[in-house]
Amino acid sequence: MENMIDKKPPEEFERWVKEKWGSSKIPEGGVVPYHSSYGYKTGAWSAFKAVIDKEKCISCMNCFYYCPDSAIIMDENMKATCDKVFCKGCGICSKNCPADAIEMRRVTR
Amino acid sequence: MSGIREVKGMTGDEAIANAAKLVNPDVVAAYPITPQTIIVEHFSDFVSNGEVDTSYIPVESEHSAMSACVGASLTGARVFTASASAGLALMYEILYVASGLRCPIVLAVANRAFSAPINIHGECTDQMVCRDASWISLFGESAQEAYDETILSFKIAEHPDVMLPAMFGVEGFIVTHALERVESLSKQQVEDFLPESRAAKYRFTPDEIMSFGSLVLQDYYMEIKRQQEEAMIKAYDVTKKVMEEFTEMSGRKMEVIEEYKLEDAEYAFISYGATAGNAKAVVDRLRSKGEKAGALKIRLYRPFPSLDIHEALSGIKAVSILDRSATFGSPGTILQSDLSTALYGKENVPTLHGYINGLGGRVLTLPEIEEIYQKTKEYHDVGMTTTLDWVGYRS
Repeated sequence: MENMIDKKPPEEFERWVKEKWGSSKIPEGGVVPYHSSYGYKTGAWSAFKAVIDKEKCISCMNCFYYCPDSAIIMDENMKATCDKVFCKGCGICSKNCPADAIEMRRVTR
Repeated sequence: MSGIREVKGMTGDEAIANAAKLVNPDVVAAYPITPQTIIVEHFSDFVSNGEVDTSYIPVESEHSAMSACVGASLTGARVFTASASAGLALMYEILYVASGLRCPIVLAVANRAFSAPINIHGECTDQMVCRDASWISLFGESAQEAYDETILSFKIAEHPDVMLPAMFGVEGFIVTHALERVESLSKQQVEDFLPESRAAKYRFTPDEIMSFGSLVLQDYYMEIKRQQEEAMIKAYDVTKKVMEEFTEMSGRKMEVIEEYKLEDAEYAFISYGATAGNAKAVVDRLRSKGEKAGALKIRLYRPFPSLDIHEALSGIKAVSILDRSATFGSPGTILQSDLSTALYGKENVPTLHGYINGLGGRVLTLPEIEEIYQKTKEYHDVGMTTTLDWVGYRS
């Protein structure tokens, strides 16, 4: 994917998923290393995707702050991009875009 | 135990506040509710007088109190709070968060009846219904036990093999507001007994980059819950060990259960909290009449000391369970349900006769307890193995 930062879960996460850790190995109380949420690809079940028209984007970053999943990434030109791996398709970014640059498009699988 | 024992007159609430002062917790977040108020009121005096180093967080509800306690505990702080009845019920949601996140918070409960009808007096239902929240649960009979359990609860909860929160309860007004003789401990004794700060595997600090309280679904939830059960199993041994150490330190016998004249007894009472004192008085009365009576007090309710109870009751014909907590449509009193499961199918076990009593602070008199004794004998003689009655109400 272009312009995407590398959202990789910590190595420990990969291990407990692969080795199917049980109660004796899993971290106590579910206290886990930072960024373990990168292991859950929340975009995999979304019904909509944000499609951003970079021509219209005014770089206000409203979408960036509103996104509950940190799935908006600002590219090198400070234009908004949707991280489709994590976008759940809630549409908050689209509703809060003052430039009407974000269209929610149905995903067909 | 060396040196002279210092004896003071204290109410149950004062005893808890004074014991907490010796523990000197890092954080206390609490909201007042009768009959617990005096605990936090006294403790806030200690804070404002500079007698403790505690950060005291006044909050707007018990839900917030427990939430603040969880947050503080995650940083590795030693945390104390207190509540009762409706307040404890409002905390209920966060009780599970505290145990799930393995926060060894200590909670004093001034056991009080639930509304409606609104009532402020002693009843243990509030604490009994928290039995499944993965909290260590203790009951105390007197201001002395309230004092002692405050201190040892920290040691049990914070043990590295346990790391679960602990609550201990004493009945509202009956214990919390009654002035009693309390043998106090010195600051030095408590400092020697409790580690200066508590152990913490992970701390919520800027230096440790960890996620606390993440979403865990079907794939790992059960594993994390199972960890709590294993901690509970370990908590049983830890509690016994801590109580032994406490006995040695204080010179006061402290055990998960307390046996009273059970050795040659044929019929026994089982109770917890303040009722246990009355049961023992009735045992003496019955003994003077030639009856082979005994009593068993349950101090540790969760983890449930099944083995100790089975051992203590072996050979006894029938027991009267004096339960000051309400349950409706149940096959037995709350305690009776636990006892039945613990004893079912084992050899040499007594028949179990539950008596729901003393709701909303209703007094269960000694003659009434004697009547219960006779009733249990009759049930046993006609071959009934388990019964449930309400006693001490007008029909």
